Amino acid sequence: MSLQLLFDALALGGIYAIAALGIALIFGVMRLVNFAHGQFIACAVFALIVPSTDALAVLGLGRLPAPVLIPLILALGAGLAVAAEALVFRLMRNASPVALMVGSFALGVALQNLLLVVYGGRPKAVSLWAELSHPVQIASAEVPLLQLIVIVTVAMILAALAIMLRHTRLGLEMRAAAEDFTMARMLGVRANRVISGAFALSGAMAAVVALVLVAQTGVADVRMGGQIMLVAFIATVVGGMGSLSGAVAAGLAIGAASAFLQAGLPADARPFRDAFLYGGVILVLLIRPQGLFAPVGAKPRV
Amino acid sequence: MSKLGVFDLAVRYGKLTAISDLSLSVAEGERVFISGPNGAGKSSLLSAIAGAVRAAHGRIEMDGEILSGLGVEGIARRGLSMVPEGRRIFAGLTVQENLMVGAGMRRDRSAIGDDLETVFAAFPILRERARSSAGALSGGQQQMLAIGRAIMTNPKVMLVDEPSLGLAPKVVDEVYDRLCQLQELRGLTLVIVEQSSARAARVGGRMLLMRAGRIVGDGDAADFAARDLLTEAYFGGAA
Ligand SMILES: Nc1ncnc2c1ncn2[C@@H]1O[C@H](COP(=O)(O)OP(=O)(O)O)[C@@H](O)[C@H]1O
Ligand SMILES: [Mg+2]
Repeated sequence: MSLQLLFDALALGGIYAIAALGIALIFGVMRLVNFAHGQFIACAVFALIVPSTDALAVLGLGRLPAPVLIPLILALGAGLAVAAEALVFRLMRNASPVALMVGSFALGVALQNLLLVVYGGRPKAVSLWAELSHPVQIASAEVPLLQLIVIVTVAMILAALAIMLRHTRLGLEMRAAAEDFTMARMLGVRANRVISGAFALSGAMAAVVALVLVAQTGVADVRMGGQIMLVAFIATVVGGMGSLSGAVAAGLAIGAASAFLQAGLPADARPFRDAFLYGGVILVLLIRPQGLFAPVGAKPRV
Repeated sequence: MSKLGVFDLAVRYGKLTAISDLSLSVAEGERVFISGPNGAGKSSLLSAIAGAVRAAHGRIEMDGEILSGLGVEGIARRGLSMVPEGRRIFAGLTVQENLMVGAGMRRDRSAIGDDLETVFAAFPILRERARSSAGALSGGQQQMLAIGRAIMTNPKVMLVDEPSLGLAPKVVDEVYDRLCQLQELRGLTLVIVEQSSARAARVGGRMLLMRAGRIVGDGDAADFAARDLLTEAYFGGAA
């Protein structure tokens, strides 16, 4: 296996893992599969450019220096997710999981249409951090600087999240609530605080994915969150709904498998890469329908 | 004024009426047992008081303040703590983390440390296992953890649902011993669901008998135990 391939696998898997975490964090505390997550990503992408339906994109916030831009976009993603919870999902707190899921679909469609109205439907070229596509020589491999940054960033986010869950008050409350929400509330844990916290983290994860996608592809497209949302959702199912480490592991595995298939399949089979990939997913789910890391005794929400 | 008052309570699950026209009053520092057959509505009563189940009718007061509308966490924050049926410990958290979940609403950092010490003194096994996963505890240890976790919220009123369920008699002895000790130490008002009138009599306290969602008896636990013993002698344990 070439070193180059390893970096490809880590970078793609890392992004899938962050996207899957965005889904799993909310599912953990609310038993809600948030299908609007893809549109959260898209909104964070479009926040970089000046609102206009022109074909030519003009960078707005995207022109800010990275140390300002990154926290700002993360905060915007978190704010959007928290607002969505307060305005939509809080009203549905006692609804069934299916109703919640449909609600998230509706929110996703609404956000997408909002983007269409404001920015138009055509994909736009966006040049964010173009200098990062420079290759760096590592042993035998030529790796784009961006890919290295993505891998390091993902590792840092995972470490920070693990520390936050282990060692902070909110982390403890989120873990308790994910196991048994009503019991946590009977011990005085505030439902709104825990749920807002999960949405904020999830929204920030969406913003991370958005920044990486734009930097990698150089495109802003209203539909760009949908594809990765699908992969992220599959990763959370394969990892075991409600298991954060499962979502991360499955996200990494799917990204890596995708990169390996892309490199290893004969040229005429390559267009069918995703068929092989999802065939593998189905196989895993046939053997372990509850997912690879299903948490023990997850009780219904609120 | 009573510490805890329930007035004309009704609880329904869809069409099923679990509790109707139920009123009761518990004095400060009192120990009240609730007994009755399976399905009598004992757990529903405790859940309604804790706010975890919505009352279809009636009102619940603590210190004269109406609890309905405060929400589950709001009621807990007023000083009413629940040790639920089946213990419901957080299996994926460590023993100490379980205890700390209950301390989250409190601002008095030093008092939290003191309470942790109180819990560990009452249940030394929890100190020994503080860093291990709560899911690995035995049933009796989990019951102790559930009680300790409730104590960490610094409650004034504590509701305990069938603490003896599935435990060996010797362990039940220990659990009740410590529960009474903690009650005295903290001046707690205790409401305990306990099926066995003999056990309730041995621990001592008032007893309410529930049947089909209503209270059908109210008196000293010892009197109920004596009566149950008689019934058993005549009818062979059908009570
Ligand atoms: N969550 C629920 N949904 C529907 N019915 C319930 C629920 N909980 C309890 N019940 C019903 O309410 C009645 C009282 O139950 P419960 O309060 O658990 O009694 P107990 O604790 O005395 O055994 C029973 O008929 C039970 O089947
Ligand atoms: Mg019961």
